[in-house]
Amino acid sequence: MREDWEDERLLDALRESQRARQDVPPWFTQAGQGAYAWHDIAAQLARLTYDSDHDQELEGVMRSAGMRSEAASIRALTFTSARLSIELEVTADSLVGQIIPPRQGTVEQQAMSGETAIVPIDEIGCFYLQPVPTGSFRLRCKTGDGVDVVTNWFVV
Amino acid sequence: MPAMRDDPTVIALVTRAVNSDKDAWNEIVERYAPLVWSICARYQLKTQDIEDVGQTVWLLLVEQLGKLREPAALPGWLATTTQRECLRALTAARRTQDSGTLDDAPPVVVDAEAIEQEILAAERNAALRDALGELPVSCQQLLAMLISDPPRSYAEISATLRIPVGSIGPQRARCLERLRRSRALARLGASEARVSRSGGEGCA
Repeated sequence: MREDWEDERLLDALRESQRARQDVPPWFTQAGQGAYAWHDIAAQLARLTYDSDHDQELEGVMRSAGMRSEAASIRALTFTSARLSIELEVTADSLVGQIIPPRQGTVEQQAMSGETAIVPIDEIGCFYLQPVPTGSFRLRCKTGDGVDVVTNWFVV
Repeated sequence: MPAMRDDPTVIALVTRAVNSDKDAWNEIVERYAPLVWSICARYQLKTQDIEDVGQTVWLLLVEQLGKLREPAALPGWLATTTQRECLRALTAARRTQDSGTLDDAPPVVVDAEAIEQEILAAERNAALRDALGELPVSCQQLLAMLISDPPRSYAEISATLRIPVGSIGPQRARCLERLRRSRALARLGASEARVSRSGGEGCA
């Protein structure tokens, strides 16, 4: 933006900046603004690192005790953060999860609408959400030893 | 990296957002959503993937907000993070394709220069937005009409803003002059001049 900018070039630059803003759909910006709900919350992000819908190479991934080889046809997902992983399996009537390393705690299921449901995590790290959540949601796991993670939004 | 490291607007926004000011966060997202979006567009991601990448990038920023060593380098941080998440999404998508559907499209490659251009454009656009904010409302309204798409005729502008057609030209010149002299554009000018003097310092 130099001093010698002509009026027309300056107007073009304004047009360009307006166009760049208009290219972005409102939902995209709103979702980003909504992320601030996580400000001041100690939760760390657990990212999706495995999804059976995407990843066919199951070997070495289906490591949790609950996941046998025939589970290959079952949707399975893994979310990973520095201090714990969350492994999920979608069954006909529930979403079965296990946190690794296993320990007790709670899982909060959060819908984009703001609705939440909390279920316990048992001593071997397992939890059950019934029925299987519909629409976009995320899980926030808090364990007795102070670990607090939240997954990306996802759909099963 | 030609980032505006001393840009007080970004530093102030980040500081306020760290201190629980939701409006400041909203403004940060408003300013830089086009940057995140445009990088996703360059990688030709599907809408679902763009949504995922956007969520991840903003959540990571919320986490990192208080730890950014140079808040003014935020555009660069956002660009790098978005690029990494786009590559992650593309890798996942490619694995799906390998396992079934046909897709002979070559992998999308976005070079560093393209990303650099997006960062510069984002900084320029943010500065223009700040500069407009420094102008009197009458100038903001006039300039908004002058750049509207589709273009408005002077007769329309005259009727809407209740100013004589004959004074639109002189007012336009005055408003653009004020824009050029705004603090936001002066800072951007200084920043771009530094970049051109240093001959693109930091670019590999």
